Amino acid sequence: MKPLRDWIGRLPRGPAACRLLTRMGIDPVRFWLLTDLFGQLAERRELMSHLGQNAAALRASAWVFCAMSALMTILLLLAEPRPAAYFAIFLALTGFLMTGVLFSEAGNSLVNPVEGLVLAHQPINGATYTAAKLTHLARILLFLVPALNGIPALGGLLIGAPWYFPLLLLGAAFLLGGVIALACCAVFGWLIRFVPARRLKAAGQVAEVAPWSAFMLFQNGRGLFRHVHMPHWIPTATAPRVAIGLAALAVSAWAVAMGLRCLSGDYLVRISAIAGGSSGARAKPRRSRTGDLVAWRFGGQPARAGFEFVSRMMRRDWQFRRQLIPMLPAVVGVLYMSARSWRTSPFSAGFAGAHLVPHLFGAILFFICPLLVYGSDYKGAWLFLLAPGRAIAPFARGIHAWLWLRIVVAPHLVLLAAAMWFWGVGDGALFTAYSLAVASLYLGLELRLIDGVPFGKPPEPARQSSLFMLMMAGGTAMAIAAVLQHFVLFRWHAAVLVAAVLLGAAAYLATRSSLDTFATAIRFNLGLMSQEAKVLYTEVG
Amino acid sequence: MNTGQSAPIVEFDRVVFSYSYTEVLHAISFTLGRGEVVGLLGPNGAGKTTTIKIMAGILAPGGGVIKVAGLPLPERAVDVKQRIGYVPETAVLFESLTGQEFLELTGRLHGVAEETLQARIYAMLETFSLLSDRSSRLDSYSKGMRQKILIAAALLHNPELILLDEPLSGLDVNAAIMIKDLIAALAAGGKTILYSSHVLDVVEKVCDRVLIIHQGKLIADGSAESLKASTHESTLEDVFRSLTGSATVDPGVARIVAAIAS
Repeated sequence: MKPLRDWIGRLPRGPAACRLLTRMGIDPVRFWLLTDLFGQLAERRELMSHLGQNAAALRASAWVFCAMSALMTILLLLAEPRPAAYFAIFLALTGFLMTGVLFSEAGNSLVNPVEGLVLAHQPINGATYTAAKLTHLARILLFLVPALNGIPALGGLLIGAPWYFPLLLLGAAFLLGGVIALACCAVFGWLIRFVPARRLKAAGQVAEVAPWSAFMLFQNGRGLFRHVHMPHWIPTATAPRVAIGLAALAVSAWAVAMGLRCLSGDYLVRISAIAGGSSGARAKPRRSRTGDLVAWRFGGQPARAGFEFVSRMMRRDWQFRRQLIPMLPAVVGVLYMSARSWRTSPFSAGFAGAHLVPHLFGAILFFICPLLVYGSDYKGAWLFLLAPGRAIAPFARGIHAWLWLRIVVAPHLVLLAAAMWFWGVGDGALFTAYSLAVASLYLGLELRLIDGVPFGKPPEPARQSSLFMLMMAGGTAMAIAAVLQHFVLFRWHAAVLVAAVLLGAAAYLATRSSLDTFATAIRFNLGLMSQEAKVLYTEVG
Repeated sequence: MNTGQSAPIVEFDRVVFSYSYTEVLHAISFTLGRGEVVGLLGPNGAGKTTTIKIMAGILAPGGGVIKVAGLPLPERAVDVKQRIGYVPETAVLFESLTGQEFLELTGRLHGVAEETLQARIYAMLETFSLLSDRSSRLDSYSKGMRQKILIAAALLHNPELILLDEPLSGLDVNAAIMIKDLIAALAAGGKTILYSSHVLDVVEKVCDRVLIIHQGKLIADGSAESLKASTHESTLEDVFRSLTGSATVDPGVARIVAAIAS
């Protein structure tokens, strides 16, 4: 078995493969050196989120996909669909999930090239470097496509599909994945070609969120397109339509080819500009009035330091922003659903979308709090080692103050105005008070998820594999909470008032307790950092 | 050392470079002759590192003509990179690699034959007293050890042009003396060295010629002696202060002391 595995491993490095690579403008020796280097760095967990998922993270994602597709297969087999429909469903699912995953991974590999600082002055041509980076996307396909389609492919045989159905589904899924991977790379190639280096990171983040946004738009925007009619000049006959389709296909293929060419042109020259490309935005040196308030009420200058630190880093740390991106379309979707029935008071007999609002804050904070410890400038956390021990607790209070004032209180002021306008002063004020108490309680509890110094750890790509499942689970929990709230609580105004008071008190107590835990987590994390010297000398080999 | 009379190895002709919309190099022109050791001086933000990165093919200029070893940049950047050794200002390394692995990677990327590479790595590590740490990850190296690795990596492929951006940063006294001797020996062997530093007495000792950049413009080009003579100053530090206007440093120092005392 081992000789066979070795032979298969050597195959892509053989003379024939080298000749093929050379013909494509890729230097085979340097290509394999870089491929091995990136693999080695990923396995040793260096430059996490810059090289994409390592084998362990990919295996975790593969298991999640496998479980999800197995569940879907069982449900579909019970419905006994036609093989063609069954085939189309799994191909569409592959396309949707792979678009999200590959866009994100292409962004990791191509728009955040920190390794460029080390390699930019090495004699590597752009095509070789790009090809080595893109080999990673092929690895992802090899892991995830079989995980997503293996069980459904076999399941197809149980609904009367022909014997070759598994091969057909897997082949089509690999082909689709390959096309999506090339398209993702082409998008980033166009971005690298036309977007200035200082805007590239932001543009990459927008590109990553595009597939999810398109999905949300498709789900919720059908009404928007209701009145859009096909233009009269589009022919109705089949032949011209086929011709138009082929032309569109040719243009798409050209766009992908040109995008890939842009990517591999002078990539290593651009890469340095990307790595060193600051936003160019200059921050005005101004004194925040809210900062004054926080220093006054939450623990002096260390609290102000925590408040200002989190405020600025959340806006400027691009790894943090990038990790939050997958959440945005879901939040916009829930807000859209709530807004559709906004005129219905939560105290009325019918279910109002407003019931989702307090839990939406909980969901947002549920994502923000655990992610708050990861950042691109995590090495700067040494600074906190120099802070006096007594500053840690007020520093933590300052961070909580930012989360509470900016994410909970400020939106509730807007909510109060809107709610009183639509539902009257009494209902509006009561609902806002209730929502504020619920959101504050969520924050009080979820503060415990901040496991160390904010922005003090490198990002962990493995977390992203669980994000999709978390979003599904969180959405379900939110819907259940909203329905219970509607049927159990919002029948009586007095019950809501009592609940708001009790939840507010619970929020206060939970926050006090969680702040202690948070400060302890920061101290513990700093303790680990100061102990690093003891484990520095790590022998390899 | 060579006086640079033969065909220049580096030609910079009216080179312009901008970061975003800020022009940081304004039509800089100079040449470097083979075997020359040239000091590149300038205050922080003057454009020294940008000049070196352009020469290394890492940054593409916005205008002007650049040739390194007769090859135009950025068009032939890959070929130029094969001929240069570059020690960057900041020691960015793949920290999970060991010293040995990092040097092997660099040498192989430059196409150095395996036996030659291993012999050179051994010699470099031994010279820099890093043999016992060759199997330790780079994240465990001190700043000086990392700097030694960067210098070794820059020399492994026997480059024609060596670009040193603050090479003595973090090195102990013995290592710094060794690097100064190494620069002299390499220049005697026909290598061209561009040496950027803020340590002016070292520059004065090791360099045949000095270039001073200030606010993106080349404001002086000549030997330390000729610059001292033309500005009527006694040391290179005085020449630097006089040309870059840093004689006004003293009021600034007084302001800082006053601010922290208030």
